[in-house]
Amino acid sequence: MKYVIIGSSAAGSSAVETLRKLDKESTITVISEEANLRPYSRCLLSDYIAGEIEEDGLAFKSADFFEKHNVETIFSVRAVRIDGEAKEVHLSNNEKVPYDKLLLATGSVNFVPPIKGVDSKGVFGLRSLEEARQIRNYTQKVRRALVLGGGLVGCETAYALYRTGIEVTVVEMASRLLPVQMDERASEILKSDMECEGIRVITGIGVQEIIPTGFWARLFGKPGKGVQLTNGERLKADMIVLAAGTRPAVGLLQEHNPGIQINHGILVNKKMETTYPDIYAAGDVAESIDTLTGKRSLSPIWPNAIIQGKVAASCMAGRPVDLAQQIAMQNACEFREVPTISIGQVEATEKEDQVLETYRPQERIYRKIVLRHGKVRGLLFMGDIRGAGLIGSLIRTQRDVTSIKELLLHPEISWAHVADQ
Amino acid sequence: MRKEVMIDASKCNGCLSCTVACSAAHIPSGDPLEALLTGEPSRIAVYSVHGKAVPITCRHCDEPACVNACMAGAMQKNAESGRVKNENTGHDCIGCWMCVMACPYGVINQREKEGRSVAVKCDGCVGRSVPACVESCPNGALTYGPVNEYAETKQRQAAASQVA
Repeated sequence: MKYVIIGSSAAGSSAVETLRKLDKESTITVISEEANLRPYSRCLLSDYIAGEIEEDGLAFKSADFFEKHNVETIFSVRAVRIDGEAKEVHLSNNEKVPYDKLLLATGSVNFVPPIKGVDSKGVFGLRSLEEARQIRNYTQKVRRALVLGGGLVGCETAYALYRTGIEVTVVEMASRLLPVQMDERASEILKSDMECEGIRVITGIGVQEIIPTGFWARLFGKPGKGVQLTNGERLKADMIVLAAGTRPAVGLLQEHNPGIQINHGILVNKKMETTYPDIYAAGDVAESIDTLTGKRSLSPIWPNAIIQGKVAASCMAGRPVDLAQQIAMQNACEFREVPTISIGQVEATEKEDQVLETYRPQERIYRKIVLRHGKVRGLLFMGDIRGAGLIGSLIRTQRDVTSIKELLLHPEISWAHVADQ
Repeated sequence: MRKEVMIDASKCNGCLSCTVACSAAHIPSGDPLEALLTGEPSRIAVYSVHGKAVPITCRHCDEPACVNACMAGAMQKNAESGRVKNENTGHDCIGCWMCVMACPYGVINQREKEGRSVAVKCDGCVGRSVPACVESCPNGALTYGPVNEYAETKQRQAAASQVA
């Protein structure tokens, strides 16, 4: 059997581990367009930019990971086409890699908004280690940075840049920060926290144009740029980081698609199989069913990618298992010592939704739980994240919690309370 | 057969000896008073459930959700000992709280260590023949032994209670 995996991040590397555990003999080939020999964690790139960890600290697997698992690696090369009939992956160096089972773990790509000047010097995305290196180098030379996008990556990048000692402005087109993960109050807490630090936050306004440095400024080696906002305001920034979201990395399938169905991401069933035989997908690029909504969605978060990689690998190795309940929308983060966890639905959307909350602004504690028909739909814990995992499991299992409702918000709630009800 | 900490909550009277012993076992001197003064956290917790004391600690799951969630690679399950821990595993915990979010038993907490916020959980008392919490329990609520043996005892007890 020949297994080929495209992508070496969370889903790809967890698939490698599982495949090797189940199948000691077969060849495993990993293809990645990045040059990094060791799997690294993209979620930590902001800490790397801030200079708080070095490249070694980004690795989440040992240095001999691929050797240890006896994996053939093809790095710094892009997979450009899949020939489903011949069962081959075509590479950018014109070579062909045959497969028996193929896993697409290509992840996502940075979304580049269609703004004039977005391709000029000093404008960066933040997705790969290479981009992070460039940003880290560039921060040495600049005074002002602008982060385009106030999502998770945007806010984390803003704090990271701020920690390097430069002035930071965040521009978010939506009316508030982290519009997906947080409710209005939590966004407001985060925003005021940022502003207290001296990070300028502009919401509800987009960027119209990035104006390159003028001729004279360039001649005298000044890095400054202008940024024209949609409300007419003009800002100055020496560097711009694009954090306007990501898209599943399906570029490989755009020109030649053997017949793999794509919606936002690659459609997969519970066995992580795509609609084409012997081709699987896992991680950010895959679109699976969300337990909570029952609908198809991307689930671009780390733990889900790891689990999907394992499930795909197990199915590829002939030990079929089903993907367990997964919630696409869940995240943990910490901004300047205010830990935050949000899982599932963080706002009441239906008439029958019930909200439990505690809010103690002086302690910067905000805890909120959304219930529907006696079951937990979502949680948002800020400042005090105790019990989040437990309540999270109640969301995933959709267990009835009517009898322990008054305990749910309590930070000292334990598994014993749930088991005892 | 791998040994685990077994909890019989019916025997726990909430003396909290296990929590003190746990804190003390995780500082070099092993002194409970020093552990108390330095605020060394306990990795086992005793909860009050409708007035009844119930000790809860990590189950060292076979498929640990915390390990899947850890994006720093710090949280690992040791293949030989079966222990799940995030300390001295070759990767540093960076305090992203993904494990706190993922653990369905809620047994991972936060602590300050060397100026950073990191996750703290039961490490199975690496290097000790019997975990400190079990050693200190005066009531037999915590025992340490092979899982199947415990399951058999439980089955016998259940059968006996049916007869009676």
